[in-house]
Amino acid sequence: MSSTTAQSGLARARRGVAPGGSGTVPGKRRSKLSAQATRTFFWLLLPSVVLLVLIHGYPLIYAAVQATHDGNLLQTGNFIGGENFATVLTSPAFWKAAQFTLWFTIVGVFGSWLVGLGLALLLRTKIPAGNTFKVLLLLPWVVPIVVSSTAWNWLVATPDSLIPSLFRNLGLGTPLFLADPTLASITVMVFKVWVSFPFMMMMISAALASVDSTVYEAASMDGATRWQQFTQITLPLIARSTYISWILMTIFCVNDFPTIYLLTGGGPVNATTSLVVLAYRTVFQDFATGPGVAIAFLMTMTLVVISVILYRQIRKSSVE
Amino acid sequence: MNATSHQSRSFSRRGFLGLTAAAASVPLLAACGGGSATQGGGGGGAGGTIKFWDMPWATPAYNDAAKGIAEGFSGANGGKASYQIIQWANFYQTFSSAIASKTGPAVSTGGGFQAFQFEQQGQIAYADKVIDKLKSNGQFDDFLPGVLDPFKSDKGYVAVPWQLDMRVFWYRKSLFEKANVALPTDWPSLLEAGKALKKVGAFGFTTGAGTGNNYANHSMIMMMVNNGGGVFNKDGELDLLNDRNVEAMEFVLELVSNGIVDPAAVSYTTDNMSAQWKDGKAGYGLFQVNVPQRVGDTSGDLLVADPITGPHGDKATIVFPNNIMMYTNTPSQEASEEFLVYYLGQLKQLWQKKLMSALPVFKSITEIPEFADDPNNVKIVKDWQPIAKTFASQGNTLNANLAALDGGQALNQFSQTIITGKSDAKTALQAFQSGLESVLKK
Repeated sequence: MSSTTAQSGLARARRGVAPGGSGTVPGKRRSKLSAQATRTFFWLLLPSVVLLVLIHGYPLIYAAVQATHDGNLLQTGNFIGGENFATVLTSPAFWKAAQFTLWFTIVGVFGSWLVGLGLALLLRTKIPAGNTFKVLLLLPWVVPIVVSSTAWNWLVATPDSLIPSLFRNLGLGTPLFLADPTLASITVMVFKVWVSFPFMMMMISAALASVDSTVYEAASMDGATRWQQFTQITLPLIARSTYISWILMTIFCVNDFPTIYLLTGGGPVNATTSLVVLAYRTVFQDFATGPGVAIAFLMTMTLVVISVILYRQIRKSSVE
Repeated sequence: MNATSHQSRSFSRRGFLGLTAAAASVPLLAACGGGSATQGGGGGGAGGTIKFWDMPWATPAYNDAAKGIAEGFSGANGGKASYQIIQWANFYQTFSSAIASKTGPAVSTGGGFQAFQFEQQGQIAYADKVIDKLKSNGQFDDFLPGVLDPFKSDKGYVAVPWQLDMRVFWYRKSLFEKANVALPTDWPSLLEAGKALKKVGAFGFTTGAGTGNNYANHSMIMMMVNNGGGVFNKDGELDLLNDRNVEAMEFVLELVSNGIVDPAAVSYTTDNMSAQWKDGKAGYGLFQVNVPQRVGDTSGDLLVADPITGPHGDKATIVFPNNIMMYTNTPSQEASEEFLVYYLGQLKQLWQKKLMSALPVFKSITEIPEFADDPNNVKIVKDWQPIAKTFASQGNTLNANLAALDGGQALNQFSQTIITGKSDAKTALQAFQSGLESVLKK
């Protein structure tokens, strides 16, 4: 079989054409099947669609109502248009939280990606007890966040906790990891990276597993260095997975409530208050439902915009 | 077209955006989603059973005992009661969504100001008839002085108190002996004691403002009230910038600048704070009832201190009168009232079994041996309860706005600002007042 014939065969196979078939369906039979199939698909899909509308649609609509009213959790209140949004957007607390959310997301996404990438590449090499390491490295992702945040709290909270004691014994002073605003921000971000890198590692490991090793052999024969192989072969081939993992991690970071709330509660003095924490506190501590839900709406819109931009990158990388 | 681009096509833009929007809507769902409504049937289950919802006020043994009491109810018309524990996490959301869907309780304990929030929304059944029954069975006269008055509104009694969450100063005796300093009796001696305690590696104004820890909030308000100030004036209007409050906060800032407040306290959870008490790092500070049991040191070294006197002769602390409320959504208002009277009559059991970390509201319970054998308890009843004021001080009655004050962002931020010493008193109070005004007007 010539290579042209082989490519043609593969293309036909991808289109689902059986050997010897023409690839076309008789028009009458096709339309009959199509009508039946449409009806079947409709009835099969209907329960899922209804469920999705109930699960996502109703809360979204109800949230939109709350964001444009001055009520509370029990009563809708009066329609006030965009007043809640104006209140939120002119609040310094909102912009401070937005700024922290931005940094938290950037560090969370790229920090966990870099650590995950490094470990995924390391685990590709033949190291002793590699599978054991894989399991151990998954633990931060697997352990419930309540447990890990409690563990981190005991590691850093007081001057006599393990890590501040270690710093003190090394003559580096006694850093107050959760009490100093800058250190608290850094600690929360490091905690997020620690919690998230196993997810990135798994995504990248899966992408790397699908890369044919002969590509690297060919590149070596062409004289490509390790760095060139990494930048010219590995990264482009895992680009699609990378963008998807970035989108997901961006959503995880922006929506991340427990990591921050359990470790610092958003403090000290709002230094680690992200938008989702601010929304929660506004609704459930200040009982200001409208502004709190308005914050959540603004977050959603921002996430959709970011996701669309990254999605375009996926398409671009796929075409390339 | 290669295989990758083919996959890309099948991964359609519309589908992707749908998935993204669904994932991104999580904050919206989190913000507006209802809590668990638990069992169906508003206020009561089948056959007119009174639904009683209770919080984890102490160890699980408390809830077991409370459940036993509730389920032991047998009304005049054969009425029964069911018992449900509601966790503190998102409790207001849980109550709100249940009440909105008519699946809420007929009677419940709950947040200190919850009754006033739901009263504002027309969901509370007034307890005047319960009070009348307590008058006729003698329990009314058994209330400790002043505990019932904060619940009386223009329309009636919004709820009935059943325990007092007191804030009192505790101290570790051995640390004071080691520092060779006398117990504080007023603010200057508190400052001196704090300096002496610092020399022996302990803190003289122990507090915490981390996740879920309101003790710093309570310490700030306590110091204001202890100086004759408070969040509100006698007419119930916001009055944070009065001279007494400024003076009180300047004093706390002086404690901070002298290293008498732990610089890490701003991030301390209640567990961190308890550990400081247990590990001998805390020499003196505001805490609740039953601290030795809570922190796990019943050696007798942790003791209740005397109340201290402010610079103008004021002597006061704060108290949270936890209460039981009835809801309009009930299978029978008479049965709700009957249950509440019954339940209040059985409260003694909880203190007899030593399950409570709060003060009882009835004098007779303060006299039972299981309670009175602890000298710390006796001292709190004798010296602290009579001078205790609510969060509404200098006003008299509780109200829904206090829920936004207690644990709200404005007070948290204020307390954290003060104990980190990042601001002067007036600026911090001004920010507190502005923050509170923006919340309370909603």
